[in-house]
Amino acid sequence: MIKFLITGILRDKNRSLLPIIIITIGVALTITLSGFMKGVLGDIVDQNAKYETGHVKIMTRAYKENKDQLPNDLCLLGVDEMIDSLQMRFPQTQWVKRIKFGGLIDVPDSKGNTKGQGPALGMALELFNNKSGEAERLNIESSIISGSMPQKSGGALIGFSFADKLGLQIGDTVTYFGTTMNGSMTFQNFVISGTVRFGTAALDKGTIIIDISDAQKVLDMMDGAGEILGYLNDGIYVDEKAKQMSDEFNALYKNSDDEFAPVMQRLKEQNNLAGYIDLVDTFSSLFVLIFVLAMSIVLWNTGLLGGLRRYQEFGIRLALGEDKGRIYRSNIYEAVLIGAIGSIIGSIIGLSVVYYLQVYGIDISGMLQNSSMMMPSIMRARFTTELLYIGFIPGLFAMVLGNMLSGIGIYKRETATLFKELEV
Amino acid sequence: MNSEIIISLEHVTKRYKVGDGDFTALSDINLQFKKGEFAGLVGPSGSGKTTLLNIIGSLDSPTEGKAIVMGKNISALSHKESAMLRNYHIGFIFQVYNLMPVYTVFENVEFSLILQNKSAAERKKAVMESLDWVGIADMANKKPSKLSGGEGQRVAIARAMVKRPDILLADEPTANLDAKNAHAILQTMKALNKELNTTFLFSTHDEKVMGYLDRMIHLEDGKIREDEIIPHKLSV
Repeated sequence: MIKFLITGILRDKNRSLLPIIIITIGVALTITLSGFMKGVLGDIVDQNAKYETGHVKIMTRAYKENKDQLPNDLCLLGVDEMIDSLQMRFPQTQWVKRIKFGGLIDVPDSKGNTKGQGPALGMALELFNNKSGEAERLNIESSIISGSMPQKSGGALIGFSFADKLGLQIGDTVTYFGTTMNGSMTFQNFVISGTVRFGTAALDKGTIIIDISDAQKVLDMMDGAGEILGYLNDGIYVDEKAKQMSDEFNALYKNSDDEFAPVMQRLKEQNNLAGYIDLVDTFSSLFVLIFVLAMSIVLWNTGLLGGLRRYQEFGIRLALGEDKGRIYRSNIYEAVLIGAIGSIIGSIIGLSVVYYLQVYGIDISGMLQNSSMMMPSIMRARFTTELLYIGFIPGLFAMVLGNMLSGIGIYKRETATLFKELEV
Repeated sequence: MNSEIIISLEHVTKRYKVGDGDFTALSDINLQFKKGEFAGLVGPSGSGKTTLLNIIGSLDSPTEGKAIVMGKNISALSHKESAMLRNYHIGFIFQVYNLMPVYTVFENVEFSLILQNKSAAERKKAVMESLDWVGIADMANKKPSKLSGGEGQRVAIARAMVKRPDILLADEPTANLDAKNAHAILQTMKALNKELNTTFLFSTHDEKVMGYLDRMIHLEDGKIREDEIIPHKLSV
């Protein structure tokens, strides 16, 4: 019977071609959009995790409340000991300390007079500690477009558009002006060792990166850090793990009234990412639901038209002794075959587009020139195993559902009128 | 001829709802058919021929009375049991050949055997034998659209006969054929009737068909006007 059905499907283009085209388009669109949304969301989350939030972040309670102001006067102290303790307690996570600071970068001319100035967002990382993995995590080496990583204290990397704006060359000296954690003025010279392009407008146009030991000296933050970031060892954010860790950590300090007591926040709790992730998830699910409903309605109608066109065939089959249930089931088998063919073709096309968008992406840097949002300038799709079924199953389901609905007419057919019907 | 009675109609009446009233298509029909008969229901349009074929073919059931076909009471059969009865015991030939256009001649004839879950080898043997009976074995791979009217009706006969049914019901089988093809088809059916002892029951008002019948049941307004045994027979 299966061979009989396949033969019919292959020879009768009207029976198979339109549904296959509809399913192929629907499945390909679902996979492409889903992969693209996941990719963009993943990149944004990843970008935030790497540069801003970590998978979890530890701050003092007071720092957390005012973190938008980069309040280093409220920083964590005794961070090296704390990191050792965290590493013992949560060995599945890598812990690093960071300091973010604001200030002014002054560029002197050959006589020492100010040639140019600009506000800077400083990021102090464990650049000289190879075990921290910070350089790899932030992909700094491959983001350097000129010069190299700082090799010693006093070296700095600077965002390429910031460098362009200030007219800086590799080897130039810049002076940082800012305030220490105690509120007194501080200034320090740094030698530009390289310029970097992170692909994020917010970083590229105003960032200076130095080693954390330099920042601790300049800002009077010995053994202090604004934040300790934790990254799960496999590099992938898993909210359940992060929540388990933050619950356990915060429980240690829940009875403390000290505003400098540390507090751990997971990625989802920072930068409104929870709402963003949930929104994208909702839209993703909504899109799949709309696809299934729309496809089902279209395929239901296609099934009805097919049923009308095959009215004579079903009549003959009833007269020859095929029962209604068997005809109905054979229609469903056909739907499964057609749905599977359409879904496979749609999946191949959709996955190919996703792969292309993952490799090449869509460059939106032009739109982000004045943006301070932490998002990549090339939007890329992400190829995940979920894409293998996210279009395939709805495609198959829509076709089967459409045929199940349209096939109900078979049960309403009166065999008593077959002779009259088949005379035409 | 075998004297086994395979169709028995007792006081069969069929009424249809028409608006607020009833239309009586068949009224108190009493008939019996033996295995191997070559009989016809004749009469004008609206006389009840097709309704009677419907009931014998288990496509419909009587409003009153009892129709026993191959020992089964048609009124008591479920839809599935009716389908089974048609699948194994009853063949149909329609006025229009009603072949499935996307399938070849072979596949059209093969279909009934697929329903019976016969093996591929059994099906192939039976289909080729059936096509051979009606003289179109060489057209097995043709599509119905490539066949002439006479060839199409031969395929329909082969399709009906391939499962070796006990009863073959034919509704105006020669209505769309020219005289030459009609005679050829009727001769083929007559030969199959002799060879396989299948009961043929026609609904017709074609005189060419009547010339081949051994028995003619004249229907008028849903009643039997005359049940006539034909003493003479055309040579086959």
